[in-house]
Amino acid sequence: MNVLSYSTNTLKGLYDISGVEVGQHFYWQIGGFQVHGQVLITSWVVIAILLGSASIAVRNPQTIPNDGQNFFEYVLEFIRDVSKTQIGEEYGPWVPFIGTMFLFIFVSNWSGALLPWKIIQLPHGELAAPTNDINTTVALALLTSVAYFYAGLSKKGLSYFSKYIQPTPILLPINILEDFTKPLSLSFRLFGNILADELVVVVLVSLVPLVVPIPVMFLGLFTSGIQALIFATLAAAYIGESMEGHH
Amino acid sequence: MKNLYSLESDMDSWDPITMAMANMIMASSKTQIPISSSLPTPKPKPLPVLHFSLSKLPKPQSLPTLKSISLVGAAAPLLLTPLPALAVEIEKAALFDFNLTLPIIMGEFLLLMFALDKLYFTPLGKFMDERDADIKEKLSSVKDTSEEVKQLEEQAGAIMKAARAEISAALNKMKKETQEEVEEKLREGRKKVEAELQEALASLERQKEETVKALDSQIAALSQEIVKKVLPIQ
Repeated sequence: MNVLSYSTNTLKGLYDISGVEVGQHFYWQIGGFQVHGQVLITSWVVIAILLGSASIAVRNPQTIPNDGQNFFEYVLEFIRDVSKTQIGEEYGPWVPFIGTMFLFIFVSNWSGALLPWKIIQLPHGELAAPTNDINTTVALALLTSVAYFYAGLSKKGLSYFSKYIQPTPILLPINILEDFTKPLSLSFRLFGNILADELVVVVLVSLVPLVVPIPVMFLGLFTSGIQALIFATLAAAYIGESMEGHH
Repeated sequence: MKNLYSLESDMDSWDPITMAMANMIMASSKTQIPISSSLPTPKPKPLPVLHFSLSKLPKPQSLPTLKSISLVGAAAPLLLTPLPALAVEIEKAALFDFNLTLPIIMGEFLLLMFALDKLYFTPLGKFMDERDADIKEKLSSVKDTSEEVKQLEEQAGAIMKAARAEISAALNKMKKETQEEVEEKLREGRKKVEAELQEALASLERQKEETVKALDSQIAALSQEIVKKVLPIQ
């Protein structure tokens, strides 16, 4: 018991020393509801970056693309490739959803790692990647759930629900459970990865301010990209799964 | 991040913190004051509160005595008290704080999807597809011209063949004509030569006959003279 109390105290001390403001929010009141201001601010910046760069690069498409257009064409082809491998031939209408999912998460994650948010001091809480907040990841995961339900229902009508008893009716509870675990795992995977990544970097920086955190920061960039890809790929896979005909 | 700059002082006060905690446990065991009451916990205040309150506590006198005391006075209910305190702290650090942010982010995402679709995915995708189709068309048209070239080549070959045949025919004809002409001339020349030869032969014969005649008359005179000379007695 003594060891336990000692370790909790150590944890508390580490928690203070690291200076990480985990779970501290910059609250705004909107019509009696509370919102996390820092998440909204950073998400607006991310959206502005996406819309601005896309509109500049694609404003006047050339047959022989210049650098910016080339990059955006590459990104679009990448997204189409992901959608096509997961959804199949009818991937066309889902490209905007998968693409926006990938780009929003990717730019959010990288903005947390690359943009010097911390220069801007908030009265309470601090600016970080929007995907650092559980609200964002759950919102995206729920949208994915809605998307695959919509995909299945619009493709097959009510016979979509026959997939719940598909191999055998015994699996009905597990199949129903899957609809809850899918958004849960999607949102918590993204949230946990990004939060842990930022925490690790901040703690390391506070302990050893020089050199040591740099590889971890690069690892963080890598993880962020991978997480965006995983989220988009899984969303596409769920949509494809609910659209495919089962035999 | 605001504690980042006070890092060094934190590091210095690291050991004292734990010591102070131990001290506090001791104090509570004597005075029966719950630990949560020693921690000011106003609702909206951030985490660092705990740290500062701890560093304000009186510093322990010596290390070994404290350790031994804390080991001796390890009574279960008293030691459990720091755990709820920590739980309160974590609860205040609202990691899983769902509120209106969630639907707002959903709305933002849908708007972003709509805008990106109008700005980026649809126009650029359409442009790329059109370019692909264009290039494919051009490629297939290039294949067509190669067939045309083949046809034209065949045509050219045929024309060349015909021209060659014509030329060779004309050449043959000309050769024949010239040969005939040459032969005619040759024949004419031969005839002429033969006629001349005949004539020459005839005149030669005539001359021979004349000479023979002349020789005959001379032979008579000569023989008479010979006879006169041989026979002088007559």
